Amino acid sequence: MPFTARDLRYHPEETYPALYAYLARYAQHYLGSLKYDPVEPELVVNHVIDHLIRLGLLGGGDRTPPTVLDQLSNAQFYSFLHNSCKNKAIDRLRKHRPSVSNFSELEMPNRTEGEDDPLNEAVEPLWGAPFATPEEIALALATQHELRQVLIHCLAALKAAPKQLFAMIQELKEVGADEVLQDTLQALQQEYLAAGDAATIAHMSQHKDHAHKKLRHCLQAQSSNLTVRVALRLTEYGVPAANPAGFVIALSEITQDNLSPEDARAGLRELASEGLLDWHGGDAVHLSDAQMKRLTRFYREE
Amino acid sequence: MATNNDAYRQLANWLQRTIAAAAGESASFEADEAEGDSVTTDSGPRGFHLRFYRQLPDFVMTLLQHPGDAHALMPYTALLYHLAACPDCHATYLDLYRALHPTLEADHMLPPMEYGVRSLSAIPAESLVHVCRSLIGQAEAVLRQGRRDDADGSAQARSLLQLAMRFSTHITQPGMRGAALADLVRVATLFDGPHSPGEEPPAAHSYSPLVGAAGPRHGSRVARRGGAIARSQPAPSDAPAIYLQARHLEGSITQQGDMLELHLHDLDAALRGRSLLISIPLGGLIEPVRWQGGDPRAIRALAPVSADGSLRAPLGTTDLRLALPEERNLLEAMFMLIEVRPAD
Repeated sequence: MPFTARDLRYHPEETYPALYAYLARYAQHYLGSLKYDPVEPELVVNHVIDHLIRLGLLGGGDRTPPTVLDQLSNAQFYSFLHNSCKNKAIDRLRKHRPSVSNFSELEMPNRTEGEDDPLNEAVEPLWGAPFATPEEIALALATQHELRQVLIHCLAALKAAPKQLFAMIQELKEVGADEVLQDTLQALQQEYLAAGDAATIAHMSQHKDHAHKKLRHCLQAQSSNLTVRVALRLTEYGVPAANPAGFVIALSEITQDNLSPEDARAGLRELASEGLLDWHGGDAVHLSDAQMKRLTRFYREE
Repeated sequence: MATNNDAYRQLANWLQRTIAAAAGESASFEADEAEGDSVTTDSGPRGFHLRFYRQLPDFVMTLLQHPGDAHALMPYTALLYHLAACPDCHATYLDLYRALHPTLEADHMLPPMEYGVRSLSAIPAESLVHVCRSLIGQAEAVLRQGRRDDADGSAQARSLLQLAMRFSTHITQPGMRGAALADLVRVATLFDGPHSPGEEPPAAHSYSPLVGAAGPRHGSRVARRGGAIARSQPAPSDAPAIYLQARHLEGSITQQGDMLELHLHDLDAALRGRSLLISIPLGGLIEPVRWQGGDPRAIRALAPVSADGSLRAPLGTTDLRLALPEERNLLEAMFMLIEVRPAD
């Protein structure tokens, strides 16, 4: 019985039997010799079911926002389920394969290692997944300007705790990571740190710990991301204005390319709360020369 | 800015060290996640990872459709920082990438055929148990995320719990049904607090269904609960019933027409002659019962506890029938916790 992503979202009880049968069939197919195992087929099916529940698709109704999975064609959606099953089954086979523990087992003719072995189909695709390792992600976050701005924003947000900000600046210098953030760090040091702060600060490790915790939170906060995206657009689209003197940016300029009006307003509110601009909910944002200078200091294009 | 690759690499190393989770934590900024005992039905990220988890399909599709476009990744910056710090979510990202990449060229995948499984009751109980536990775990994640973000996730969590209860009704083995709903009461009442702050005294007795007690035949019946053998007293009539136990005390729920009735026995001397307030915490979760007095958490028994310690209290009317297995199972799930306390 065919079913769709929409059926899973809105009619989970009616659709689940067909989904289960579909997944169980492919789980058994790709598990090879493990298909008779009392646990493995169920484990593969459960893995996919868990994904569908956590992604808000299975039984999500109108209460979870749709994702790209809801927009796939039926053939694409079946392909997604099929691939999920196949990949998990092959992962399970790989996990079991090292269990061969003696020579006699190796020498025994083993049907699963013959032509019918599902692992033979599991050739790693030529395309490699981007961000295949956390290290690769960290490198992208460091090298790509747009992504790096969030780090700069979060470092600047430490200004409320100058000792923590100083601890981070020191740490970046010590590890030689300050080079790519040099101008920003200098600006932060000049603007927010008194000359005396450079003297020895007691409990430095404690300040570092607190700063790390704040950074971790800030870097993974959606609000930081919004703030940076809006700030970047302000510095990009701001046009000189005569009255009042400074710059003006229409809200419609900011809300382009995947930035909703609600998100833009949230970002503007955040920037206003940080004292980087004055905005009271209007359809245009006015920036003084000083405000624009401050924004560009942290969010400018290189 | 003139920089070399080493400088970027050093920054990347520092970033990774800074955002990486402390040992034993999935992401140390989520330290407060440890405050409760999350449902751990399986491996994988739960709790405060939900917000990131749900972005993954769209993120993957953006990568597939706009390869190498850093600008397109801007909406996902927070997610990227999280993926660099959270091995669980990163593994899920790779899973989804591997599953979604081939779909771009999939226009030939055949729709599912009729494989012979036509109803939930025909699915292995283990699978239904897993679905129920996963739905309840998801409800807990939604509630915790909502509390953390100061957002109301209760409607979504409620919907997930209702779905878990409905799925569980198709599990015929009572023990398995109990396992499926093991966390239901805890999650459904996760952030309840006292019903009336400062006013609600602790329950005198907390009853829960005796798993496996399908109904009396003649006389008493033996049922097993939590490894202990219990003898349940027969319901007043030889009709289908849900048998209850609270430590050494027993009771039952029966049905007279549309009316559900609670029967308690051997209540202690301190309660005899007094009116009782009955609370059914899961009574508001699904709505097939029109509760006596309107509030399932404060049903006042119409008559006081008798001199022999027994109580008979109408609870409310329903179209569900205890005689029908799936409807009985739904009612049993709803009565997983019944608290009684003196009304005065």
